[in-house]
Amino acid sequence: MLDRELKKGSAELIILSIVEARPRHGYEISKLIEERSAGRVKFHVASLYPLLYRLEERGWLQGRWAEKAGQRRRRFYSLTAEGRRVLTSQRNSWKTFVEAMGLLTGVDHA
Amino acid sequence: MPNWTSDIRARLAPLRLSPAREAEIIEELSQHLDQRYDELRRDGAGDAEARRLAIADLREPETLAAYMRPLRQANVPPPIVPGTPRRFPLVDLGQDLRYAARMLRKQPGFTAAAVLTLALGIGVNSAIFAMVNATLLRPLPFRDPGQLVVLSERTDASPGDFVSAPNLRDWTARNRTFTAIAGLRTTIGGMVMNGVDGTAETVPRQWVTYGFFDVFGVTPVAGRMFLKSDDVERAKVVVLSESFWRSRFNGDRGIVGKPLRLDGLQFTVVGVAPDEAQLFGRTSMWGMIPIERSTARDGYSLRAIGRLKPGVTIRTATDDMAGVAGQLAREFPKTNAGRGVGLESMHDAAIGGELRRTSILFLGVVAFVLLICCANVANLLLARATARTRELAMRTALGADRRRVIRQLLTESLLLSIAGGTLGLVLGVAILRSAPALIPEGLLPAAVTLSFDLRVVAFCAGAALLVGLLFGIAPAWQATAFSPAQALGSGSRTTSASGGRLRNALVAAEVATAVLLLFGAGLLLRTLLAVTSVDRGYRAESALTMLLDPLGSSYPTAPLLLQFYDAVEREVAAIPGVKGVAYATTLPLGDSSVGQFLFTVVGAPPVAESQTPTADYQIVSHGYFRALDLPIMAGRSFDERDKNGGLPVCIVNEAFVRKHLNGRSPIGERVALRESAAPGSPEVVREIVGVARQVKGRPDETADLIQIYVPVTQEPIDDIYMVVRPASGRAEALGPAVRAAIGRVDKEQLVSVRDVKTLEHVVQEATSRYRFRAQLVMAFAVLALLLAMVGLFGVLGYSVQQRMRDFGVRRALGASTGDVLRLVVRSAASVIALGAAIGLALAVALGRLLATMLFGVEPMDAATFAFVTLVLAVTAAMATAGPAWRATRADPIQALRQE
Repeated sequence: MLDRELKKGSAELIILSIVEARPRHGYEISKLIEERSAGRVKFHVASLYPLLYRLEERGWLQGRWAEKAGQRRRRFYSLTAEGRRVLTSQRNSWKTFVEAMGLLTGVDHA
Repeated sequence: MPNWTSDIRARLAPLRLSPAREAEIIEELSQHLDQRYDELRRDGAGDAEARRLAIADLREPETLAAYMRPLRQANVPPPIVPGTPRRFPLVDLGQDLRYAARMLRKQPGFTAAAVLTLALGIGVNSAIFAMVNATLLRPLPFRDPGQLVVLSERTDASPGDFVSAPNLRDWTARNRTFTAIAGLRTTIGGMVMNGVDGTAETVPRQWVTYGFFDVFGVTPVAGRMFLKSDDVERAKVVVLSESFWRSRFNGDRGIVGKPLRLDGLQFTVVGVAPDEAQLFGRTSMWGMIPIERSTARDGYSLRAIGRLKPGVTIRTATDDMAGVAGQLAREFPKTNAGRGVGLESMHDAAIGGELRRTSILFLGVVAFVLLICCANVANLLLARATARTRELAMRTALGADRRRVIRQLLTESLLLSIAGGTLGLVLGVAILRSAPALIPEGLLPAAVTLSFDLRVVAFCAGAALLVGLLFGIAPAWQATAFSPAQALGSGSRTTSASGGRLRNALVAAEVATAVLLLFGAGLLLRTLLAVTSVDRGYRAESALTMLLDPLGSSYPTAPLLLQFYDAVEREVAAIPGVKGVAYATTLPLGDSSVGQFLFTVVGAPPVAESQTPTADYQIVSHGYFRALDLPIMAGRSFDERDKNGGLPVCIVNEAFVRKHLNGRSPIGERVALRESAAPGSPEVVREIVGVARQVKGRPDETADLIQIYVPVTQEPIDDIYMVVRPASGRAEALGPAVRAAIGRVDKEQLVSVRDVKTLEHVVQEATSRYRFRAQLVMAFAVLALLLAMVGLFGVLGYSVQQRMRDFGVRRALGASTGDVLRLVVRSAASVIALGAAIGLALAVALGRLLATMLFGVEPMDAATFAFVTLVLAVTAAMATAGPAWRATRADPIQALRQE
């Protein structure tokens, strides 16, 4: 499990990345985070949703209730234009940061 | 699946989320927990285990709130939404009322128009209701009024008749169902009262039997009422009415027991009775007719009244009295065979069918006026509601639901109706104050007083509330029937179509009502014209009349009485400006002091006793026909030949000749006359010396009255009308001189002079009911028409204003002034035509209900139809002219610029 501070700073980047490809609902987001990090990163309900709402309030995500025939309606979160811009910029600075850390700590990342 | 709601809600509780947002979050998180739970179950966890693990995802109870708190949505104060249900509806009501008052103040013109219209409607309604209340609803002002009845002698020929004094006495003694029975004379006579200061005045007096006041159950204001012992002793006693006692004797209790000189005789005042006892005629005092020792069993002169014992019904009493009448018929077969007893509730008898019908007619009429007022106010509200669409849409968009908006609008309507009702009450009181001057004398019995009691006020309040709901609900419903987005987005034009239809329907209904009322008024007016324009027979335009009542004891013999009449006639004829003087017992279209006589033409085939014809028996002086300018069609008038003791003669009228002489020459024929069929009644055979022109007995009589004139010299009588015809000018002006002339002859002041009026006045009185009805209904009909036209004007004006751009575009595309005019007139005409058609159809249906009040006109009178149509066309043209003119002034340039 990653450090708490690290995760907090990177949490926004993680969420934005997860919904980049297509709109997803909360449970799906939490499952994908768990799967893609091979179980190393986990968001519990009490922190995931407030985070989604925060991103929504900032205008990076847009939550929308959608109905599929025969199912309960679910709230899907998609990336807004603003969110996409933020994601690109954060991804770049994260990359720079990780490369810098690799150079500084001698950890070979390749 | 577990329900997570309460778990999540508990965790969200510390945050001040909006209820909608909270519900959303609960829904979203529940779904998440559901999926997690399913997953755990699939992995083999038991229910409780899966549940526990899923909940664990929510962490400590404070965690979610802690994460949420920095968010904006967690700190939104609850929005203030107009219409959000509060805990206390009364708070809402106060808010609504304040808001409504503010809205009404903002448009003083609209408010004034609405309130005044309502006040008018409610005012006339409450005044008329006061009349209905007084006549139909309110019980008579006596103790246990339901026990009071009127009794009459019944024969096969007559359903209700006067009672003889001996029969009344026996009814009183033998019945088992009455606490009291009494008799009274319905005609009010007068007595000459000599004051201590030497003045004389004629005081109205009614004759009653001793039980009269016991029947009403009135308590004496002072002294006592009549006693049976007064009757047995034949005491000369009188009871004064309270108002007379107060005005003439200043309410002095000392008057009880004092002597009073009446008609030259000494009477003792035994007491003072409350004014309610004047139910059967306005009088200042009551004298007592003794019945205990009376023997004239065929002298049918009394109207009988009675009070039933508590709990006894009219049916029981009728059976009881049938038994009594049966006994009397066996004991006195000559007079009483075939005579039964009829009973009627005193309320019904005192009020009478005429008054009942009039009251109901008026109530119906004013109810229609109120409906029109409602329709007008509803129209005002509808137009306003359309103008307010944006305001209402805004409120709905802010969260007020439809019910809430309707309630707000209804509060405004109710506020209007309360204001209108209050003002209407004031108006109603004002109308009632002036009513006594308008209501014809004799239409209302003395005991019936028009007043605003609680019932009238309750009626007024009820009418106001009902009206408020009635005119408020349609506009409110229509005003809120839109989606806010639609109303906010577009102008107000899209929402006016359905409102326009409703407004047109209301105006059509108003026109229908006005037409119905106009039609009724037209029929009543035609009736009035018919009764006033009947050929009265005589040609005198003006004459002064008065009843002369010389006291029998001062002129005990016929020659003395005739000398007195002669002296007065000479004295009056000498007054400058007097053209003629005469005496008669009947005034044309007025009262008769003698009544009907039975007659048979001598030599005619005999008829059954019960089929004997009757004639109006009139005793007149020689100069009567000349004085009234009543033509003698054949033979001669009375003259010096017709002396007392000479050949008995008479003059008959045209109807007599037509019906009873079969074309024979009347002069020289002989007629046998009797006052009644009773065996004791003397028969006098008179020779016909002349034929007088037909004179109407009543203005609305349908069959010609048979009249027989007899010279006063051959049948002196001491209650007679004097007729004084002026050479020119007004007859009233002769009054003082004529009274002075009588005074010069009647030095001892023993002649009662009363009922001083002109012949025109007599005619007016005879037609007053028709006039009253026609005038009142006409006034209401005009009011209704006016209101309907105001409604039409308002609706047309409004729709023209809405369509000005449309007209402008039409003008721009080449429409002429005439085309635009036609458009407006056509829309007005369709509404009016619809209303008129409905109104006339209703008039045909309702005309039959009026039939009993009509004379000389059919309920489906074509002239009235034409009259109503004409009046409607003229007023409708006037109401349409303004808006139509405005429409023609639509400016094409401006219209195109707006497009």
